[in-house]
Amino acid sequence: MAPNTPVFLTLKMYIYLPIAEISMHIGIIFGLGGGVGFLSGLFGVGGGFLMTPLLIFFGIPPAVAVATEANQIVASSVSGVLAHMRRGNVDFKMGSILLAGGVVGSSFGVLLFKYLRDMGQIDLVIKLSYVVFLGVIGGLMLLESSRAILRSRRPGATRRKLHQHNWLHGLPLKMRFRRSKLYISALLPLAIGAFVGLLAAIMGVGGGFIMVPAMIYLLGMPTSIVVGTSLFQIIFVTANVTLLQSVQTKTVDFMLAGLLLFGAVIGAQFGTRAGALLRGEQLRGLLALMVLAVCLKLGFDLAMQPSDVFSVELLK
Amino acid sequence: MIRAVFAYLLAVCGMLATSPTPANAGSVVADLSQSNVSITSGFHGIELLLFGAVDGRETDDIIVVVSGPPTDVAQRRKAQVGGIWINVETNIWKDAPSLYQILTTRPLAEITNADTLARLQIGADQLRLRLEPEKPQPGTEKPHAGRLLQSFARNMASKGLWPADVGSVKLTDGALFRANVQLPANVISGIYDVRILQFRNGVVFSESETNIYIKKGGLSAMIYNFAHDYSLLYGLFAVAFAVAAGWLAAVAFRRG
Repeated sequence: MAPNTPVFLTLKMYIYLPIAEISMHIGIIFGLGGGVGFLSGLFGVGGGFLMTPLLIFFGIPPAVAVATEANQIVASSVSGVLAHMRRGNVDFKMGSILLAGGVVGSSFGVLLFKYLRDMGQIDLVIKLSYVVFLGVIGGLMLLESSRAILRSRRPGATRRKLHQHNWLHGLPLKMRFRRSKLYISALLPLAIGAFVGLLAAIMGVGGGFIMVPAMIYLLGMPTSIVVGTSLFQIIFVTANVTLLQSVQTKTVDFMLAGLLLFGAVIGAQFGTRAGALLRGEQLRGLLALMVLAVCLKLGFDLAMQPSDVFSVELLK
Repeated sequence: MIRAVFAYLLAVCGMLATSPTPANAGSVVADLSQSNVSITSGFHGIELLLFGAVDGRETDDIIVVVSGPPTDVAQRRKAQVGGIWINVETNIWKDAPSLYQILTTRPLAEITNADTLARLQIGADQLRLRLEPEKPQPGTEKPHAGRLLQSFARNMASKGLWPADVGSVKLTDGALFRANVQLPANVISGIYDVRILQFRNGVVFSESETNIYIKKGGLSAMIYNFAHDYSLLYGLFAVAFAVAAGWLAAVAFRRG
């Protein structure tokens, strides 16, 4: 071992993960949990979009990474939603419609996942989904936050309208959402829920990074309640994914999820405190850069010739 | 380790006791420092001591072949399609040894000739593996079987399952031998065959076999069995645990 290796890595503290069926250094697991937890606390995101690619990078089979991360997100969403509930920032009615769509979408997503895995194309679909969605969301966020930063330097700027009416408001099955101050068709949140649920199941994320902008820009919900409502529905969608993956693919590694969330819980507390020191648009700008970095890394991996075009997987 | 040394001495005594009997076609007796290995939470690979006695000469050679439980292995090949690298074909190697390791007293080529090695199926390139090929996607050319096997052995080697380097066996006075068998952390559970061959003048003089039994144990076995035998209950438990942990964290840090 190299002389400058940190002391804790030289200790033989490996843990055998029973479902992933690999042995991993405990320092790496806690480091991942704590580091991603810190960032998720800092930016107020779930962190699944960072954790899942990192787990795969450290050798966890993609199927296990996705299913296990769903299990871990259940915990972080529960702990996050409680704070928002205390402040009354959860629209339970809207959340329930979203999660009804989410349960359908994520159930279909798990089936699709199993099919793609059997075809040997799951890695590709996971990576492509990341590149596309992180690229789009990261790009939009960067644009929005840089505009906000520029605007804040120019006093007397105008504020945009809360939301505009368009054809989406002509859909049937209209419902009143008091907490969100909206009177819109239930089909819209159902469809959004289903789409995000599908992505959550395939990408091993909670889907907050798509759900939150969709709630603000497509549904026109007030920004104060989107995070709490998004977390509320993520609990159920990721719980559904955890259950279905346990039954269908048997890829939820309870040991890994438990150790990750231990680190994540502590990291998130420090992250939240650090986040209070930065301004909203600065935070969003930094988050956008991070999202784009993950997107570029995965996109680069897909475009570059791999060092070995052959790979093997033991089938049991 | 004390147990191993004790067993080693026992083997020596046994050899000495039986040596007066006529040496018809030689004989190999071998044992392992530990034949039952359990994959517990702390498992990070293991080194076993293979030792034994042989009725032989100083110029004899020993070849040890360790092979893991046969399993199907999918071999995938990537090619560039539309600017990105994707898997274009999956070939299945049927019942390939999940671990394949060779240990010898001298380099294989010095012990015997290639024909003998082929006949005894010693060496990653000598295993008569069955390949279930898949038609590659249109527009890409299928590599020939030789290249497939070569890359297969290379990929298995990089996983530490088919080490490309031949390990060493120490033979003392043509009578006692010992070798360290290194099992990596990613071994699968099952029965591992250990073949011990005694060579004299390039031909097999005697042969013996022993086994290593690897299975999951302790907490990791409990979790694995729970996940496979009661998968719905396991899922519910995983969700319940996550909800409880999340709630606990929120409560604990609210006060702190």
